Amino acid sequence: MRIRAIAFLTFSGFLRNKLMIFFVALFAVVVLLMMTPLMLFKAQAGAPGMPHTESMVLGLIGSIMSLLSGFGSLLAAWAAADAVWSDIRSGTILAVLARPVRRWEFLLGKFLGVQLLMAAYVLMMLALSYLLAAIGGEHIHPAPWLLIVYPLLRYALYSALAMLLASVMHPIVSFAIMLVIMVLETIAAPGSRAPYLPAWLKAGLYAVLPSPDLLSETRFLTITEASLKRTPALNHLTALAYGLDWTLVFFLLAAWLFSRRSLVRD
Amino acid sequence: MRPAIEFRGVTKQYGSGSGEGVTALADVSFAVAAGEVCGFLGPNGAGKTTCINTLMGFLFPDSGEVGVLGYPPGDVRAKSQIGFVPENFAFHPFLTGPKLLRLHAVLAGLDAAAAGRRIPELFAQAQLCGHEDLRIGKYSRGMVQRLGIAQALLNDPQLLVLDEPTSGLDPAGRRDVREILLALKSMGKTVFLSSHILAELEQFADRVIIIDHGRLIREGPLAELLDRGGRVAILVDSLPEEMEKLLADSGAAIERGGQGVRVLVDPVLKREAVERLWAAGCDVVSMNPVRNSLEDLFLTLVSDAEKAR
Repeated sequence: MRIRAIAFLTFSGFLRNKLMIFFVALFAVVVLLMMTPLMLFKAQAGAPGMPHTESMVLGLIGSIMSLLSGFGSLLAAWAAADAVWSDIRSGTILAVLARPVRRWEFLLGKFLGVQLLMAAYVLMMLALSYLLAAIGGEHIHPAPWLLIVYPLLRYALYSALAMLLASVMHPIVSFAIMLVIMVLETIAAPGSRAPYLPAWLKAGLYAVLPSPDLLSETRFLTITEASLKRTPALNHLTALAYGLDWTLVFFLLAAWLFSRRSLVRD
Repeated sequence: MRPAIEFRGVTKQYGSGSGEGVTALADVSFAVAAGEVCGFLGPNGAGKTTCINTLMGFLFPDSGEVGVLGYPPGDVRAKSQIGFVPENFAFHPFLTGPKLLRLHAVLAGLDAAAAGRRIPELFAQAQLCGHEDLRIGKYSRGMVQRLGIAQALLNDPQLLVLDEPTSGLDPAGRRDVREILLALKSMGKTVFLSSHILAELEQFADRVIIIDHGRLIREGPLAELLDRGGRVAILVDSLPEEMEKLLADSGAAIERGGQGVRVLVDPVLKREAVERLWAAGCDVVSMNPVRNSLEDLFLTLVSDAEKAR
């Protein structure tokens, strides 16, 4: 009950966060603008001399969703990094932790609050992808659960890492580190074009960073009939277990550090 | 009997990792017995809030031990019996008062029936009726403070820890807080309270602890501390100059006023002083003990501590 109350309180706080509202609104405008070429494809479909538009429409949807997913990673990192810090900054943490609430329970409540935010975001992303596909007159082939579970797990992983970093440093520094990690992941992903990086460094980054390959941005965002549909169930399980494993490790480390930190600013 | 609060040699330094640290608490030891109302005093920056944050488990001391209701600070078994009002009380501004109380009822582990009884009662006690739908962000400082006290009482705590509970309140609000505290005292609850309003504290505190620059400078039962250093005021109709000099040399203070001359002497010297005044032909109008006020005591102790540094 206590953890659930803290999670819903955190989620409610996010929904009222002015900065969050501003960026979501800005992003919605960008997405709407990007729908213009989709409408054009739709209008030109079937015209004499026009190639089959399916791949173009799905490619465009893929780009929009990729952008949205990237934004989701940033949102997860920021929300998690700021979740506890904002309570410390405002002093609201004192009244909550004066109650019989253990520190790890508080942190778990905060983490789940971030996951509620990200779940709402993923559902919106899913609805948007279906809407875009409907506008483009195409179908999204992968099962919906893939488009829900993979992003959610990836965001959970990012938010746990951001929470861990924010347990020992300022949230802006944590967020900057998260940005660097995201860039490095893109560089280290198999098939990425980064000739300036030696192969051993790419291999090292690939091994060290938390979400390569199976949990990569590219993988779970491929909404055409590509890799996801052909993936055996065991691969999905491995990928999801891998993501959960990292998330749990990051969260436990964050909880351990949080239990040792001061809750008031020096 | 186990003390409600116990500090043993507690030291806390801020910023010690990056050069010159600031000592917020230096070897502080004291105990507050169960059922006592204890005033925790000190000038700004004395270390009161650090002490309270350590007591609540928000800060960890560098050395020393702290016990709260027999448990370490931050232990949920202790926290379930504590009501806490922090300094500069902050709540989630998007919640309404009743929603905040419901949240704290859940966090305190109150069942729905108990919460349903307590919340309207405390909301009314905080004189917030009629503001049920108002978000806390729109509350005045005094309303927030009253709501803070209401949430602290939600779980019927055995120990109440209050950091400046009357700041931001008007005289009527302060009187209400005083009445709540007196009621809690009569119910045998332990109250640990930091305040700058010494005159109020003097009315209901059983014990005071005074700290300055992170060091404990005095602690004890209030009555004992106020009696110590008290004086006797002898009112005479007139006082010859040579007599005044003689009394002043023996440590008496002389105050001349419209109704006569007030001679303030140490209680052990009162008999000798009166005999001298009689012998000098002065008419002694009255003789009354003068008790120190808490404010006098506090200012004297802080000033003495300042001189000693």
